[in-house]
Amino acid sequence: MNPSNPPQAAEYGGDEVSAIVLDPGYSTTRAGFAGEDAPKSLIPTYYGKYSADGQEKLIYGDDIFVTPRPGLSIHNPIGKDGIVEDWDMAEKVWEYSFTSRLTGAKPGNPFHNGLNDIPAEELPTEMEVELEEKPLADSPLLMTEPAWNPAKAREKTIEIAMEKWGTPAFYLARNGVLAAFASGKASGLVVDIGASNISITPVHDGMILKRGVQHSPLGGDYISSQIRALFQKNSPQPITVTPHYLISSKTAVEAGQPPQAKYRTFAADKAPDASYRALLEERTLSEFKECVVQVWPGPNRLSATAPSGAPNEELARSHPPRPFEFPDGYNQVFGIDRFRVVESLFDVKAAIPDPDSPVPAPTQAQTIPELIKASLGGVDVDIRPHLLANVVVTGGSSLLYGFTDRLNHELMQLFPGPRVRISAPGNTAERRFGSWIGGSILASLGTFHQMWISKKEYEEHGANIVEKRCK
Amino acid sequence: MGRPKSKPKPTPRASRTRKGRQQDDEPLFPDRKPSNMPPFKDEHILLIAPGSQMTLAQLGLPETFTPARFRFPTRMFPAQKKGEYEPYQIRERRQPVAATNGNGAPKTEPVKADVEMKDAESTGQDGTEKPESIENTEKPAGETAEGAEKTETQETFYEEDVTSDEGAVYPIKDGRIVDWPCFFALLTHIYNALSPPFHTPILLIAQPVWSTRDREAITQFVFEKFKTPAFTLMDAASATCYGYGVGTATVIDVGKSKVDVTAVTDFQVNEHGRGIALAGCGGDAMTDRLIELLGSKGFTREMCEQLKRSNIAEILAPGTPLPGAAATARQGTNPAAAASTGGTNGNDSVPRGLGEGTQTGTETNSEEDEGVLDVAAIVSGDTTEYLAKIEKEKVNKKGAETKQKNAPNHQKEKATFQFEEFVPLDDDSAPTSGSRRYIRHTREIEVGAERFLLATPVQNAGERLTSGILEDIATQIHHTILAVPDATKRSELWDSLIIVGCGSRVRGFAQALLGVITQKYILSPSATIFTSEIPSAFTTPLPTGGTNTPAPTGQPGIMYHPAAHGVNPLLVAATHNNPGMAGATPGTPGMDPNMSVHHRSTGHSQTPTSVKCLRLPDYFPEFKHEGNRNAPGASHGPSATQGGHGIEEATFLGAQMAARVVFVLDQGLSKGFMTRIEYNENGPSAIHEYYL
Repeated sequence: MNPSNPPQAAEYGGDEVSAIVLDPGYSTTRAGFAGEDAPKSLIPTYYGKYSADGQEKLIYGDDIFVTPRPGLSIHNPIGKDGIVEDWDMAEKVWEYSFTSRLTGAKPGNPFHNGLNDIPAEELPTEMEVELEEKPLADSPLLMTEPAWNPAKAREKTIEIAMEKWGTPAFYLARNGVLAAFASGKASGLVVDIGASNISITPVHDGMILKRGVQHSPLGGDYISSQIRALFQKNSPQPITVTPHYLISSKTAVEAGQPPQAKYRTFAADKAPDASYRALLEERTLSEFKECVVQVWPGPNRLSATAPSGAPNEELARSHPPRPFEFPDGYNQVFGIDRFRVVESLFDVKAAIPDPDSPVPAPTQAQTIPELIKASLGGVDVDIRPHLLANVVVTGGSSLLYGFTDRLNHELMQLFPGPRVRISAPGNTAERRFGSWIGGSILASLGTFHQMWISKKEYEEHGANIVEKRCK
Repeated sequence: MGRPKSKPKPTPRASRTRKGRQQDDEPLFPDRKPSNMPPFKDEHILLIAPGSQMTLAQLGLPETFTPARFRFPTRMFPAQKKGEYEPYQIRERRQPVAATNGNGAPKTEPVKADVEMKDAESTGQDGTEKPESIENTEKPAGETAEGAEKTETQETFYEEDVTSDEGAVYPIKDGRIVDWPCFFALLTHIYNALSPPFHTPILLIAQPVWSTRDREAITQFVFEKFKTPAFTLMDAASATCYGYGVGTATVIDVGKSKVDVTAVTDFQVNEHGRGIALAGCGGDAMTDRLIELLGSKGFTREMCEQLKRSNIAEILAPGTPLPGAAATARQGTNPAAAASTGGTNGNDSVPRGLGEGTQTGTETNSEEDEGVLDVAAIVSGDTTEYLAKIEKEKVNKKGAETKQKNAPNHQKEKATFQFEEFVPLDDDSAPTSGSRRYIRHTREIEVGAERFLLATPVQNAGERLTSGILEDIATQIHHTILAVPDATKRSELWDSLIIVGCGSRVRGFAQALLGVITQKYILSPSATIFTSEIPSAFTTPLPTGGTNTPAPTGQPGIMYHPAAHGVNPLLVAATHNNPGMAGATPGTPGMDPNMSVHHRSTGHSQTPTSVKCLRLPDYFPEFKHEGNRNAPGASHGPSATQGGHGIEEATFLGAQMAARVVFVLDQGLSKGFMTRIEYNENGPSAIHEYYL
């Protein structure tokens, strides 16, 4: 190419559009383009509501963590069981998840906001005028759902995708199946430890075995409530978690000494709601979970004795304690207590009693070993060994230190016969976004093209089609 | 050509290819060049870095990298024809037909022709003359503008008003592109002004807030409008890391009205938890605060803006007492009144163009100010009070006069800065030259302790419960670093803050930000020392590991020690010599015995135990003008001189380094840019595979 010669006109023909994968969870919503290895957009499913100038305003995304607003309250459109409760808000939160980073905001395109009505031939560029008004008019959409999603909710989902977002093609996939795909398996037992729920999903040849699906509320939020219970009965004094936004500066204090911090106060009419404080406390608690909390790795329960004869509690005490500093500067080391807060996921008797907590005390049937037992009891006896040889661990709370070791021990104890094999990706992102990654793989497969529900089919058959096509 | 030997090696990729090049001055794999494209040359590379206020651009890479050669205000003016834009305000002016002219037909000259002529003229200058030339054309009463106007004697005049920003359309707001046609017009204007040859690859710095669709739209525009052979988009944060030659850092970009906080690990931008376009935290927020404080005293926005940029405005580290009793000193005088009369002083002698006074160094300025009697204040009325005050002050500082004279800014109760403004020289009734003339007024304005309060919370922050921009930024940094999935990197991220963006030019910004982080987030040593992670055989703590010496890490950055409160320095030294904490040498893998083989998010310690700013490598003297960065007028819009820009534009430095690596050294082997062939095959969405 000679630099002095003008190049010929570009001959770009058409768009290769990749699908958008949307994986809504209780705590976070993940969205990104199919074929990528991690979701580009990760937002909290929580949204903030406040009023200013007599108007109700909503904020989404990470912004809710950073700047408080007067009277800000925090809500979640999804219920504790992982099923959408507030459809209007779920639609808005989900829409934000892909418009903010992927497709651009709806009103943001000035070509059709009425202010820039330029005759087509006089456009400053040779770009075509994009005429779409709906946010997803040119992207197929793959969404995920929990295995126990009711038919009504599924129909509502496709309705939003087709009519509100205008997607040309849609598919709804079970997140358990996708998590198995992400581990490269078409069959397996998916153990998903989420924020509000833990679930066990048996998957066989890419289909869920409905009778074997089990779920219980002992997820990350339950662990948080156990941590709070631990803080309550901490000696010498109970620990209160004061989030960073209420602290203007802190002073270093010795371990166990009362905090010396300058607190920030808000005028009564401006102070954010208690739900905001709870959300930000949760961030400190998740830091605590990352740095301190540890699952007793086994073998046997924390309250039992080790094979050597010594009680496990003694062994746990011999682990060096771990320090943690709270936002107000209070700091303390946590010894055996850091094992206790998660022990009740496996052994309900070890739960720290907390009568004040809004979370009801767990039952034995809700623990992970019991769920797995019940799940396997619900599937054909022939495929049980195959499922146990392909246990897939996913979900953010499964990153608790020592979790997979303990799960391995528990399973070997429960099922001494068949070979138990756990596959848990070591990479944090792969563990947290297992079902999104599976969706990304699925939607970029060439053979998946025939699975999409097209707009035309939707118009012909109605929302009901999702029941027939997405099994 | 003699490349500086001591260039940092931004990536292994770069160093490898450079080695190959030094041997035989040929690409490493000449036969593996994509298609049959001739190699790109340094002098053909076009760099564009759009910002909300200024768009930096440069054609060609100099041998040693310098701040951007051209700065275009990121604004355009609607042209007569709807949907088209002009780079300058076009004014229409009617004038009686000159009888001397043969044909007095009231013909309307098309605006377009007028502008093109001028464009050509200025472009010609740009290409041939010193870099300052483009600033000349934008200077008030520029000779080029006059020359062009004189050719017209019709009834209707169209003139470019280069100083006015009335009616301007700003296509980028808070980093977002809000007006696409205008943004594209700006790109076209920049492209035309620099007029690169056809074989020019383009590197555009992308704002973090741009969505993938935005990037596709820009890609499509660039390929189809400019027919460029190669194009790449680079994230502003990773460009900054290239500039600093580090792979892991927390980049804080303080812009005009927003702040971006990005955690970069191993040259990868962490999208999750990234602080994107944090509103109400940029330079404008500081100006707003000054207006709030000084507005009642007659300060205009422009005055506050210049005060913010002056070298007397300073953010003090938390805990530093304000000089004087209160910010209410000298309430009786109205600074604005003082200022306006002060103008008479220099009215006649005000130099046109760049005033001599503006170029004086900061040091001399502040020293002179001390001795100068504020004539303006005397003229303004409160003479007796003022003189009495002067007397009193004289008595006060009789003994400590020499000390006071050299006192640092933060100990002086009051200080003056030079306020510049453009005043129309002759009004519309005397249109002799056809062009409006302006004159630059310089006058001194005195400010009290308010000049230290520009980062304090705005009273009327609208819907946000802000606690001052520094705290808001610190909160975002904490949030962003905590969101990094690889927990072992977090400590290193805290120790590698990079603060860029013109908003951070305010004196003391970085130190004050570090101070706020120390106050709010640094863990006390007792929370970190009793860990299992102290290796049994750690080296004996150095006795110098105390409070005032830099950390023994070889990092000469600004260091805030958690030991500030009388904690045993041995403990501190122990925490800092602890190899388990990545605070040691950046780049060494963590040797935490508790850490599992995978980067599991548990088994690590809480962060931060320390916080530091990275220093720009010494290889780029041009970016080292820190001392000059607050010189009066240094940043005054288009007329700014080059010397005024320093490390806050490290992003552009990184863009130059990346451009050399991607276009010249690498030649596309590592898919650093998208060629037009690939564009034609795959369309704009393929840009994401090349996004840096």
